Parts: sequence; C-alpha cells; structure tokens
Amino acid sequence: MSSIAQPLVTQAEPHTGAWPLETNRGIYAVYSVIATEGTLFICLFASYYFLGADKYRWSIDAPPKLMKAFLMLAILISSSLVMMWGERMVKRAEYAHARAAVLITILMGLVFLGVQASEYKDHWKTLTPFMDSYGSIFYTITTFHAAHVIMGILMLGYLAVLPKYGPTKLPPHRPYRVVSLYWHFVDVIWVFVVLLLYIIPHFQVYGF
Amino acid sequence: MDNFAAQRVRKAVDCVFARTVSRLKRYRAICERRTDLDNRSAVAGQHAAKRCKCAVHEAEIKLAPEMYDRLFSMHGITMIFWYASPILTGFSVYLVPLMAGARDIAYPRLNSFTYWSYLFSGILLYVGPLIGQSPHAGWFSYMPYTNIVYSPTHGMDFYAIALIFLGISTTGGAINFIITILRFRAPGMAISKMPLFLYSTLTISCTIIFAMPALTLACIFMELERRWGMHFFGVASGGSPLLWQQLFWFFGHPWVYVIFLPATGMVSMIIPVFSRRPIVGYTYVALSTILTGLVGFSVWLHHMFTVGMSDLTMSFFSAGSMMISVFTTVTIFAWLATVWKGRPIATTSMLYALGSVALLVIGGLSGVVTGIIPVDWQLHNTYYVVAHIHYVLIGANVFPVFAGLYYWLPKMTGRMMNERLGKWSFWVMFIGFNIGFFPMHIVGLMGMPRRIYTYSSALGLQPMNELMTYGAFILGIGILLSIINLFYSLRRGALAGNNPWNSDGLEWAMSSPPPSYEVVHIPSVSTRHPLWDDFDEAEDSDDERVLSNARLTITSSLLDAEPLAAASMANLTLVPMFLALALFGLFLALVFKLLWLCLAAVIVTFLLGCYWLWPRPIKGEL
Repeated sequence: MSSIAQPLVTQAEPHTGAWPLETNRGIYAVYSVIATEGTLFICLFASYYFLGADKYRWSIDAPPKLMKAFLMLAILISSSLVMMWGERMVKRAEYAHARAAVLITILMGLVFLGVQASEYKDHWKTLTPFMDSYGSIFYTITTFHAAHVIMGILMLGYLAVLPKYGPTKLPPHRPYRVVSLYWHFVDVIWVFVVLLLYIIPHFQVYGF
Repeated sequence: MDNFAAQRVRKAVDCVFARTVSRLKRYRAICERRTDLDNRSAVAGQHAAKRCKCAVHEAEIKLAPEMYDRLFSMHGITMIFWYASPILTGFSVYLVPLMAGARDIAYPRLNSFTYWSYLFSGILLYVGPLIGQSPHAGWFSYMPYTNIVYSPTHGMDFYAIALIFLGISTTGGAINFIITILRFRAPGMAISKMPLFLYSTLTISCTIIFAMPALTLACIFMELERRWGMHFFGVASGGSPLLWQQLFWFFGHPWVYVIFLPATGMVSMIIPVFSRRPIVGYTYVALSTILTGLVGFSVWLHHMFTVGMSDLTMSFFSAGSMMISVFTTVTIFAWLATVWKGRPIATTSMLYALGSVALLVIGGLSGVVTGIIPVDWQLHNTYYVVAHIHYVLIGANVFPVFAGLYYWLPKMTGRMMNERLGKWSFWVMFIGFNIGFFPMHIVGLMGMPRRIYTYSSALGLQPMNELMTYGAFILGIGILLSIINLFYSLRRGALAGNNPWNSDGLEWAMSSPPPSYEVVHIPSVSTRHPLWDDFDEAEDSDDERVLSNARLTITSSLLDAEPLAAASMANLTLVPMFLALALFGLFLALVFKLLWLCLAAVIVTFLLGCYWLWPRPIKGEL
C-alpha cells in the first residue's frame, strides 16, 4: 500500500533523539470515541423516555424479567475485572498471562451474547420489535449494545493475535489499554441498560 | 394573440429549465469530485433553478412539483451537510497543523480516512438522484412525511444512510482536530496564545462529538421505521413524530454553530492582519467562541416553537437563543474595534471579511426576531426564515470562505490572486446576494410560505420574486468571476513569497506552498503574533527541535505547551481509502437491504482495520 517507489531508508524503530516517545495518542482517541458513543447511548435512553413520556405505562403486561439481565451483568462485570487483571499483567511484563486474560474475556463476551440470544428467545413470545414503539426501542437499545459487544470482541480478537504487548516504539503503542478501555465502556453501558430497561419498570405502575 | 404570447413564454421557460436542470445534473456530478469552488457553482445553479421556478407563478411548466421538492431538498442537504461544514474542515485540515506549528495532524491516516469517507458519502447521496430516487423532504426531513407510506422510493434511505456515513467522517475529523489542537501545538504556544481560528475549530470539534450521535440515531430510527417495520414515529403504534424533531434539532442547532464558528475564526484571523494591529479583546472573542458552542446545546427547541409546548420550556429556549446573540455581538464589536483602532487596507480578502460582518449583522438580527416566540409563530415556515438562514450561512460561511480563499490561497498555491478581479467579484456577489435575498424578508412578512413550487398571481408576489431571481443570477456571476480568477491566478498570478500580507501567524513562516511534509524544524512561540513580534525560530542552539531522522513531531502539554515528547507519524498508505470504500459498499448494500453483502462488507472492513493497525516499521524520511 505504501509508496514502494520512493527510496526510503527503513528503520526498525523511529529514532527520537533527545525526546521520549509519545505513546498516548491511542488513549486520547479511544476516550474521544467513548465520549461520542456514550452520547449515542444517552440519546437512545432519552428516546426511550421520550416515547414513554406520553403514556400511562408501556403496553406490556409485566416488566422484563430480571434473572438473565443480572446474569449478563455479572458476566460483563467479571470480564472487565479479567481485563483489568490483564492490564496489570502487561505492566508487570507477564505477557502470557495478559494474553490469557484477552482469551478469557473473548469467551465471556461470547457467553454474554449467547445468554442474550436466549433472553431474546424468551422475550420474543410476548414482545417483538414490530409490535409497537416499546418493542422497537427495547430491541434497538439492547441490539445496539450487543453490536458494541461484538465490536469489542472483534477488537479483542485483534489484540489476541497481536504479536507484542510490551513497550514498543511502533504504533499502535498501547493497544492493550485502548481495547480494555473500550471494553470497560461497553460494560458500563450495560449497567445503565439493566437499570433503565429492566429494573426501573419494576418500580412503575406494574407493581412488584 | 395573448394566448400565443403565453405559449411562447412557456416554451422559453421550458427551454431555460431543461438547460438549467441538465446543467445542474452536471454540477452535481462535478461537485462531488472537484474542489469547493465548484461546490459553490452548484449552489448557484440550484439557486438559479429554484428562483426561476418561483419567478414564474402558476406557469404550466414541465418541472413537476415533485421535481421542485427534490431540487430544494438536494440543495439544502448538499449545502448544509456536504458543503458548509466540509469546506471549513478543509481549511482546518490545511491550516491547523501549520498554525499550531506541528509537522502533521495528530492522526494522519484517520485524516485520510475522513476525507475519503466524506467523498464516498457524498457520492452515495447522489446515487439516489441519479437513479431517479431522490430525497424530497427538505434538509430536515420531518417524519411522518418521510415515512414509507408517503415516500416509497429509496430517496429517503439514501438521505438517512449517507448521513450516517458522513457522521463517521465528521466525527473522525473532530477527534483529529481536538487532539491536534490540545497536544500538538508548538512549544510555547500556550492556550492563551493560540490563534483564534484554533479556538473556533476546537470548539466546533467538541460540539460535533456530542451533537453528531443525535443525528446518527435519528437516521437509524428513520431507516428502521421505513425498511425494517419498527415503530418510532407513528402515533398509532405508540411512537411520536416529535421524536424525530427532538433528535434532529438537538443535533441541528449545534450544527449551525459548527458551520458558523470556524468562519468567524477565519474572519478573526483576517481582519487584524489587514487592520495592521492585533485583534481587540482576544480573550473575550475566545471566550465567546467557546460559550457559543456550549450554549448552542440549549437552544434547539426554538426550531419547534410551533409544535406546542409549555410556556416555561419555550421561554427557556427563547432566552438561550437570545443569549447566543450576546456572544456574537461581542465578537462583532471586537472586529469593529479592531478596524476602528487599526489602519485598515481594502484588500479583496478584507472586503469579503467586512462584507461578511455586515451580512452577519442582518442575519443575526433576523435571528433575534425569530427567537421571540410570538413573532416566530407568525414567521414560521415563511420566506423570512429562508432569508434568515441564507444571511447567516452566506454571510457567515460563504463570504468568510471567500475571504479565507483570497487570504490563504497564495499560501496554498504560491501565487497571488488578482486583486482587481477579486474586488469586482466581491461587489457583484455582495450586491447580487442582497438583491437576491433581502426581498425574502419582505415576501416572508407578506406571508409567502417557503417550499412552494408556485403561487397565485393575485398575491402580488411576482415582482419581488422576479427581482430575487435576478439577484441569484448576479450572485452566481460574482462567484464565477472568482472561479475565473482562481484559474487565471494559478497560471499568471504574481509569486506570493513566504508572507505576502505581512501576517502574524506561523503558517506564513513557511514557503508557499509549504513543502509536502511541512517543517522539519518545529518552531517555538513566545507571543500571540510570532511573525510580528520576536520570533525565536533560530534560538535552538542544539538543534533539539530538528526532527529530521524520521516522521516525527513534538507533542506538548495542554495549557502551557511545554514540549513533552516526540510522536511518530504514520507512513503514507492507501488503506484508509480502501476502508472507506468498504464502508461505502456496506452502506450501499444497507440501502437495498442486501444483507449478505452487508456481512461481507463488515468482514472486509474489519480485516482492513486490522491491516491498518498492524504494527510495522516507520520509514525514515531522509
């Protein structure tokens, strides 16, 4: 892809002279992405409330069941803990452990998606996205989150095959940190989804 | 006899229309591929077609009402989304690293990706009209008119999906500018010494980060409702058409500042140079820029005063809208004071900048008027609003862009533009624009609604409308003069030298045009006007800031711009283009719901992304 025709001197690593190497650019970028994607989810939640604002209650007989949502929450939060452990392993230069953490996190993400599929299957009996605005917004929010989980798993997959985690002078400088930040973000979003879509309806007019 | 004359008029009109429409089609094709100047000739063409249409009341002409809807919709969509912000982004991509004294923008490959995805999203938008399925509901596309029942073609799908695609590009650009401006400024360029253009670019980039998702989501909802059988906007299924309006304007009003603030930033750079003194009230201008971006998030409901809401809500948003005008006024008075206290020189660039101030005042005042709730109820959806939007967007976007072109083109091309032709162009544009758009205030107050393809001759609106059509053509001629000037100057213009205007900014320390990989010696800055004051480019005895051994640039701290480290820049690569192409395939497949193609495009995108991010050796430059 790069311009092969130019007579360029190839260096294995950039020689930065007296300067230390800047390695935080990826971190800044992922924080920016998190800011904008977080706003996307805020807009989704705002739409959920806007659609509900002119109704006495949603057109469902009972609020969503909590068991599987809590199970998924537990899976995601523990996967975040695994990733944090992995980050610590990178800092300690125990790269084999760090890679194991990535693989475990991928597995947990896949389990999450599996549980979500079975949760959808349960839900589908009483609610589809084509019924009314509640079904549409419920499935849109949860599917959006699932899409972000898939995105996270793809990023973790890239991380899993990346040859080197340690300090490198070649960009990407800190891929492990970048991917784990994104993964934590996806997990935090699920906390809000559970709170707003699963728990709070139980305190509304449906009764416990 | 009378009948015969009428028939001849109709034939003549038909002929003009056929020609304008065919020209328009050509413009459409061109303006996606060529530079921004061409974009503006497209707007002139579209204006002309629109104006022609309105000048002939109740005429039996071949341009059907549907065609008129498509024309004004494509005009609005192209201008608001694919011209007004991207042209300023173009200036920013070129100028931000030069002004900041960095060697390149923070993420060069992302930069390349945002350009290609901008281009491909524009092409995607214009695929629709080319296959006869064009958006037709104006640039804000209110639901439920855009629902599948009333809009069965793929036109609105192209609108929604092209906008999602463009949103990716715009967000990428915004991230790039934020990090470049915050971390890649030359040593010594503290936050209190940044050029004002960097302030406005930084502000709008932050605005984009928090405003763009609302549009993306609105477009996703629209697509899900139209093609996937979901319910968000239909009242019968528990939705609300207001959801579209809320999401769209939550994005839409901050977007007005996105296409307005960088242009004021450009004016703030140009007026001091040609007044031969530093800008008056630098701190206040910088603060009002940031506050405009911030308060811009709390005014969006003023687009919706007529939909019905509580008095308290309306008052809050009316007050917010009024507050913005205070910030704009601070900026305008700072410019006026700069001219007043300085020794102004009437170059073409300065004329455009001052013309922009005049037009912005008119547009701003009509904005204050429409911000008053009861007046807004009267003026909503009339030509008055059309006048307002055009005074703001042409006054505070097109005129500053021309000022910027006459000011910075010598830097970009190495050749001066012709001043005589430029001044002609300015006056023709200025007069033509005012003839073309000022009467809109009057016909609006008389009650002429916007977006109508014809009107009754009994209303007495025709003379005004004819006048406006002439004005639009005069404006077009003025723009044409500048385009001629550009091509003339590219060949015959006088050589510019490093600093033809005797300006103050870092970009003028470079040769014109700057070498492709810009500075090897990162400058160091100690004042707001490095080239006017003591410029200590040479005070680097150990050659510490000479980064000649690889593609490197210096990063510095957020507030004081203390140099911290050297950042390596990526190699030249075409991967971002292929990635944008893969996304183009994805979005085109989404329009037609070809799901297997979508999946394939996603996989290709992912693999290209991995290839892009794979660690590989950095090549040395020398």
